[in-house]
Amino acid sequence: MAKAAEADIKKEVPPIEKPHEIPPNWEPNVLAIACHYCAFAAADLAGVMRLSYPTNVKVVRIPCTGKLDYIHILHAFERGVDGVFVAG
Amino acid sequence: MSNKTDNNISGSVLIVGGGIGGMQAALDLADGGFKVHMVQRDSSIGGIMVMLDKTFPTGDCSMCMISPKMVEVGRHLNIDIHSLSEVVSVKGQPGDFKVLVKHHPRYVDPAKCTGCGDCEAKCPKKIPSEFEQQLGPRKAIYSLFPQAVPNTRAIDAKNCIYFTKGKCKNCEKACKANAINYEDKGSEVELKVGAIILCPGLDRYDATVRGELGLGRWKNVLSSIQFERVLSASGPFKGEIKRPSDGRHPTKVAWIQCVGSRDSHKANPWCSSVCCMYATKQAIIAKEHDSHIEPTIFFMEMRAYGKDFDKYVERAKNDYNVRYQRAMVSIIREDPETNDLILRYALEDGTLVDEIFDLVILSIGLEPYKDAPEFAKIFKIEPNQYNFAKTSTFQPVQTSQKGIYVMGAYQGPKDIPETVMQGSAVAGAAMSLLSKARGTETVIRKLPPEIDVLNQEPRIGVFVCHCGINIAATVDVEKVVEAVKDLPNVVYATNTLYACSQDSQEMLKQLIKEHNLNRIVVASCTPRTHEPLFQETIREAGLNKYLFDLADIREQCSWCHMGNREAATKKAIKIAKMAIAKARLLEPLKSETVNVTPVAMVLGGGIAGITSALSLADQGYKVHLVEKEEELGGLIKNLYNTLEESNVQEFLKTKISEVKSHPNITVHTGVEVKKTDGFVGNFNTTLTNGVSFEHGAIILATGGVEYLPTEYFYQENEGVITQRELEKKLADGEPVKAGDTYIMIQCVGSREEPFQYCSRICCQDAIKNAISIKEKNPKTNVAILYRDIRTYGLKEDYYKKARDLGVLFIRYEVDKKPIIEPSGNKFIIKVWDYLLNKEIILSADHIVLSTGLRPHPSTEKVSGMYKVTRNQDGYFLEAHVKLRPVDFPSEGIFVTGLAHAPKNLDETISQALAAAGRAGVVLSHKQLAVSGLIAKHRKENCMSCLTCMRVCPFDSPYIAEDGRIAHNEVKCHGCGICAAVCPAKAFQVNNFRDDQILAMIDQATECELVVAEK
Repeated sequence: MAKAAEADIKKEVPPIEKPHEIPPNWEPNVLAIACHYCAFAAADLAGVMRLSYPTNVKVVRIPCTGKLDYIHILHAFERGVDGVFVAG
Repeated sequence: MSNKTDNNISGSVLIVGGGIGGMQAALDLADGGFKVHMVQRDSSIGGIMVMLDKTFPTGDCSMCMISPKMVEVGRHLNIDIHSLSEVVSVKGQPGDFKVLVKHHPRYVDPAKCTGCGDCEAKCPKKIPSEFEQQLGPRKAIYSLFPQAVPNTRAIDAKNCIYFTKGKCKNCEKACKANAINYEDKGSEVELKVGAIILCPGLDRYDATVRGELGLGRWKNVLSSIQFERVLSASGPFKGEIKRPSDGRHPTKVAWIQCVGSRDSHKANPWCSSVCCMYATKQAIIAKEHDSHIEPTIFFMEMRAYGKDFDKYVERAKNDYNVRYQRAMVSIIREDPETNDLILRYALEDGTLVDEIFDLVILSIGLEPYKDAPEFAKIFKIEPNQYNFAKTSTFQPVQTSQKGIYVMGAYQGPKDIPETVMQGSAVAGAAMSLLSKARGTETVIRKLPPEIDVLNQEPRIGVFVCHCGINIAATVDVEKVVEAVKDLPNVVYATNTLYACSQDSQEMLKQLIKEHNLNRIVVASCTPRTHEPLFQETIREAGLNKYLFDLADIREQCSWCHMGNREAATKKAIKIAKMAIAKARLLEPLKSETVNVTPVAMVLGGGIAGITSALSLADQGYKVHLVEKEEELGGLIKNLYNTLEESNVQEFLKTKISEVKSHPNITVHTGVEVKKTDGFVGNFNTTLTNGVSFEHGAIILATGGVEYLPTEYFYQENEGVITQRELEKKLADGEPVKAGDTYIMIQCVGSREEPFQYCSRICCQDAIKNAISIKEKNPKTNVAILYRDIRTYGLKEDYYKKARDLGVLFIRYEVDKKPIIEPSGNKFIIKVWDYLLNKEIILSADHIVLSTGLRPHPSTEKVSGMYKVTRNQDGYFLEAHVKLRPVDFPSEGIFVTGLAHAPKNLDETISQALAAAGRAGVVLSHKQLAVSGLIAKHRKENCMSCLTCMRVCPFDSPYIAEDGRIAHNEVKCHGCGICAAVCPAKAFQVNNFRDDQILAMIDQATECELVVAEK
């Protein structure tokens, strides 16, 4: 009885999207949103010091992390980005 | 251009020294209408501050603060930097000096050099870097540090292979800009200036002199400046704390204080003022880098005398477990097997201890620059006995020569904010001296009218820079051009060897005209340094400067993806596409201007207010000085002498009569401000007596009061008095009887919760009065019961003098305060003696309490009136603890004197001159330009929910007369917090509009179609 009910519930609940199989050589696409005065400057300094990091990070500069809007983050995820990094 | 006044006063100022103080003075003067020549002996400006990792007591990153200022100085139209230069001779008089400046050869032509650094990469010669304190290498062709200004490399001929051996020339081969010139012989130039400002900076004590401490002998003993480089993320160890001997992470780390300071034997007698705090900072930061570190600071006295310093030390003790050990280390030996260090020291009761540490840092002191005696001779100024420039309490930035001012560590050891304060103070002083010549030698750039592009379809020009090989070696520049040239709205795309070079700038202007380009994207380096250059260029071609975007494909692409050409090229294309997407949506922005009323209001008629008012009046501005008491003078009405000077009352009287007779000053006494409306440049104030006036700037000099003690039988027993009362008695000539015993108690009402701060003046007050008693009658006994004697800087001399005169100093701890019992006409004092390790009993005729300072009770009301914040002790909080010590975040309002924090008379005068200098800069403008990068408010979308008003740090949204929200764009800094929180999206930040950010995100997240392989 209990088992049958459980099976019913399982039927009603839409299947949760299974995590994707991560294909080999897959690289995530990461968006960094950086404050002009600190994090963007830090990204510059990383370059000046020739520190190496993967190429799949793109930086969007904003005047202050206080300017960050949830729509920016949601829009990025909507567009299929794999991670958003806010720094400031 | 030259529109000289009759008496031939020059509107130029020479600043000798390019540290943070000189930079502040240069910016204030150049922004205030004066031409500035900055002579700097190094190849870059920046001084000491650029070497520091973080700053106390806020832990802010030093380079992050100073780097934008350096860029500002470097780019300022009215500041000429003479780097690698020295002053040879000075002739003339105030207002009209002739200065001969020698430019040493640089061997690199600044007009051609783009600062790309290709030469440095190819230079085969490595030598220990002075900037990295010998912990890392530099090349023979070098820039001092990556953010150097000017960014032109210099050849160090002494170490260059070509100059020493006659062949190599690798740099010449590497330089695509043909900037190398081995024939450079240097040059001499004569400058005509009206005033001279000296800020040559400091040297550090050479601790190898004290061989017993092992610097230079034991590998794991470092100097404090070396440790700054160790801590720095851009330093030789990239911020990882390692032992130089074996690279191991140390656990037990010791700091040894007063190395080279407070010591007449093989060292300097003065206190260096900054070491207690920087050691505390280093201990905290080290612990933050590596939580396993156990820091110990060996010290004599903890001199945390500045604003919020005591709280910082308490935090170090309680939150970071920094151990403060009151002991002098007599010798450091090394265990030859482990390279560990064995420190020998004596506990206070005399017990000798040997303790092992992994790493030892010597807190080395400051001293005048080694050439200071020669330097003084060139400018014919009088040095003091230690070769600092001689100044007085009443004129702290004036040298012995009129028209020549001094500031920073050359005036005496001091920290960054005090140096910056003096920078603005000397600027104020020079602006007073040269007020008639303001604007006579400055340059204003003439520009063509702007082309109206508002209704034009975007026509984007894209310029992709090779930066020599800096970008091109990693990124396929041609491929980037290829990828963007057919994008919608892109009309023209090309590559260029150096986008920033003079010929490229001309080409850019030409192409704008030829192709009717109305939006420009340059893909090269960081906008933080190069955006203003390109903006200026396109403005010269008639485009609004905001129709520009820079794609950073060097710092954020080629330099960090070396050897990964394909991926880096892909990323560079993306970055360029993001910039182009934004450029499509760029609109011309207007920079609005507001008029400025050239009048100041100074609130508070103490010595701070008086000094500020006089300086501004001398600069040529009308001043309203408002004092709530009937008399001017404030707290120093009760001050008769300082450690250095004896005629304070006479000084005050002179200043008051100068204020009263100055044609530019209106004094309002016995009144308060009823209300002030408006914003920078346009304030309107009404006083309680109904008088009202308009003004452009406000200086808050509301002062402080002395703490009225409730402890130690004060006001119960007339034998208990305060230092101030004793000072009056001594000044009034009350006899000092032979055989009398005076016991002074320090820190009454200071350095204890809820007043956890040092009042800064009391140690000196006690020593001053003690010396005075002893000099009047040596047959007296004076004892000072203290927690730490904080006679910082050159005031240390008087501590020594008091000891020499026989004044006794007995230390007590806050948990074992002295106990006083009245006994007839006398007192019995019980106090714990840490040397004898037992309680001692003293008898005294007089008890003198060293009482602390408090902010004036009116501070709270004033803070509400002007919406300026206060710290937890009630003192006004400046805009930035280090670099904006007299500003408030709200433009046009400044702070000075005890209203800011406890300080001495000379420091108050310096700060008052600084506030006047800063206010003078604002008032010197007929109009103030408002940046185009601000938030725009659309009233039709706004629901007046007031969310923006609550979050704005600058108080720019306000409730207008119609009862709805309006936006004061003059106050706006463009941070965009309002835009983020506004539920109706009524705010948008120019050039960072949501549609622009989303367009960039669209490009950044654009997927490439990948056909899945089966």
